[in-house]
Amino acid sequence: MSHIHIPDGVLPLWLWVAGWIAAIVVVTVAGRIASRSEARRKVPLIGVVAALMIVAMSSEIVPLAYHVNLSVIGGILLAPALSAITAFIVVLVLAMLGHGGVTVLGLNAIVIGAEMVIGWALFHAVLRALGRSRAAIGAGVATVFTLAITTTLVVGIVWLGGAGEAAERETGALDPATMRFENPFAEGVFEFGLFGGKDHGPDDYEDGDEAGRYLSAGRFAAVVYTLGPAGWLIEALVTAGIIGYVARVRPKMVFEGPLAEEHHRIPGDESGGH
Amino acid sequence: MSEHTGHAHGHASLDAVVYVSCVRHSYEDGTTVHLCGLDFLVKRGQRVTVLGPNGSGKTTLLYHLLGLLRSHEGEVRVFGVDPSREWPKIRRRIGVVLQNVDEQLLAPTVADDVAFSPRQYGMAETEVVRRVDDALAMLGIAHLHDRVPHNLSGGEKRKVALAGALVMEPELLVLDEPFEGLDPASRDSLIELLERLSTEQGTTIVMSTHDIDSVPEFADYAYVLAPGGAIVFSGTPEAVFSQADLLAEGNIKPPILAELFAALAHAEADAPPPALSVDHAVEALVRWRRGE
Amino acid sequence: MHIGRIDESATLADSWLHRVSPVSKLLAFALVLGAAVSTWNALVVGSLALALVAIAVSARLRWRLLLTLAGYPAVFALVFAFSAATSVLGGVTIVLKAVTAALAAVIVVLTTPYPYVFAPIQRIVPTIVGDALLMTYRSLFLLLEKFGNLITASRLRAGLTTGHPVRSARATTRALGGLLIYSFDLSQRSYDIMRMRGYEGRLHVTLPRSTDRRVDVALVTGALALLGVSLTWRLGYQALNPYSWVLPIVPVLAIIATLLTKEKAA
Repeated sequence: MSHIHIPDGVLPLWLWVAGWIAAIVVVTVAGRIASRSEARRKVPLIGVVAALMIVAMSSEIVPLAYHVNLSVIGGILLAPALSAITAFIVVLVLAMLGHGGVTVLGLNAIVIGAEMVIGWALFHAVLRALGRSRAAIGAGVATVFTLAITTTLVVGIVWLGGAGEAAERETGALDPATMRFENPFAEGVFEFGLFGGKDHGPDDYEDGDEAGRYLSAGRFAAVVYTLGPAGWLIEALVTAGIIGYVARVRPKMVFEGPLAEEHHRIPGDESGGH
Repeated sequence: MSEHTGHAHGHASLDAVVYVSCVRHSYEDGTTVHLCGLDFLVKRGQRVTVLGPNGSGKTTLLYHLLGLLRSHEGEVRVFGVDPSREWPKIRRRIGVVLQNVDEQLLAPTVADDVAFSPRQYGMAETEVVRRVDDALAMLGIAHLHDRVPHNLSGGEKRKVALAGALVMEPELLVLDEPFEGLDPASRDSLIELLERLSTEQGTTIVMSTHDIDSVPEFADYAYVLAPGGAIVFSGTPEAVFSQADLLAEGNIKPPILAELFAALAHAEADAPPPALSVDHAVEALVRWRRGE
Repeated sequence: MHIGRIDESATLADSWLHRVSPVSKLLAFALVLGAAVSTWNALVVGSLALALVAIAVSARLRWRLLLTLAGYPAVFALVFAFSAATSVLGGVTIVLKAVTAALAAVIVVLTTPYPYVFAPIQRIVPTIVGDALLMTYRSLFLLLEKFGNLITASRLRAGLTTGHPVRSARATTRALGGLLIYSFDLSQRSYDIMRMRGYEGRLHVTLPRSTDRRVDVALVTGALALLGVSLTWRLGYQALNPYSWVLPIVPVLAIIATLLTKEKAA
């Protein structure tokens, strides 16, 4: 659940605008840092990793609609500054394909970016403890913890937005006279039009702000923490498999980053071809 | 036709555009390519082909010319400088089309891709537009102007890449397997185009190819590489294709006409000298029949 | 994610919407998105969605692709609505909002080649980010093709087990590992090529001009009108809500009219 699959227009304005601002600041700073050295080499590198994550997200790992994100792998390989840029690009491209909202893009970039950076940090911490020979296990462990953390981050965002409660409150229109949000259903118009006069009046959800907030965020948390762990495990297994493989074939890439080695693999007759 | 001997005069020669001598490159997987034996020398205006079986280091040789690989021994000179160190000095004078054209097209549309280098070199936009239109017209692909490269056919992509290389009107054109993926008509028109560039603009051309038949049609000098990178032979196409043993050793199948004349020479004592183009072959055979 | 088919629709098909300038389309998209976000009236959002359908029909977009792409976020919105909304109508509104926003984005990408979608964005973000964004989409096609080959090879080696989840997952993982290695080699080669071709930072994309400026103006004005309606209904809900049922009629009529003229044309 690294993606916030929160539709456009559910979170309150201040929250997604704040997400956008935070993302812009992070990306600008990361862009500055990344441009300091070898910027030209990094452009295609970010491009392929972002593309790789998008390909992974678009291919089901089991015929059961679970897609991996490869964000921890991306993070391990790119280190924080490039990760932040990559996360932003990934969510931007996905949003234009209708996958993930545009308004929540900033928040999504923060969540995926956090996932990459935390994954990178945990992987290296675990490596220090376990040693390089256990790169695969390290990557798997790092992935589980990272996803648990970022899922909590998502739940936190939903809680901040007071998702359900906010939705209900803002279901009303802004009353220009009082500058307060009022519930339009009080008039009974939609109930009549859409649900044949079925009555669920305002009493259902005017239980006070805090109660509503805990209620809906709690339900959301219950859903993601139930569905989540299975996903974390799959992602961890995939991550471990891939990192294990790459650590065997190209150890430098995993332990020192892809910019460390300047290997030339020539397409065509001289390539070693693994 | 050039008659130089290949290794005697080195890069001191005034009109040498490319000079490579005993370069070694080791790949990460342990493969070593040692481009030694004869020196590799290309003079201004020459059309040179590099022949060799898979794994002989043709691409490695070209990568050295382009400064993509840096050798720790031997010498590489292009326009008098070491390309791996001073590439920015000479890159404007060199046009390149590598094997995997898919990966070579960088910009998202054909016109923008062809305009890539001129724009990076800071040319005025009107000049860029003129050059792009000229290059596209030269290759007969003006209609692809606004297309997105990745859904073009292989042959079209190759032409776009070539347009991107020709747009700077390079003095030296380096082509790695340029005929790959081209249908016979496109291949013939490419040979014709290269011919025109060579005669009209004096462009120096270096290409590696598997298309043996193109060698007599196109090249006026050929180098033969053996597995591992040894440069085992150089000379005019006629001279190269008369070395049947050498070619067999290098796993190179000579053009069918060369084989025909070699077989004739084997069977008949008075067989005519080899001819590598159809016209020349007809002429030689007719004369032979008349007993001239 | 049907990237190949999206690209095909954007680059090879043609319609009035294809000929509108990309900047106008992005502007209209932003306005429609604003309209969808600012309302909480199910009928208003529904009407917005219908208006977008009318546009899609008039541009003869492939409806099945359109529905698949717009339906994907609907599934997630449903999960979200189920877990967060406290009333049925609220849930319906959440789903409709997601579908409307996705429809708007998808209509843009189905009628605009990706370089033109991302070029305006590239111009306003830091160079390294903008260039990497353009390189991402380019790499995507190369990787997708390679991935297709790898997964076929991997499945064949595993003994063609469609439906066997564990083996299929293993095959996918192996293919992804191979793809990762390929990606880095690709990035290295791309760098080589960029260096050879004189890359100094800043990829350049020339944006196409609109063939008819009046269409651009009409599109943006229309989008502005939608935002206007949405905001008006939100602000003046007390007076206007009883008349909300009027809203869907307009786009429905537009859809019928488009279908009729289309039939006549055919």
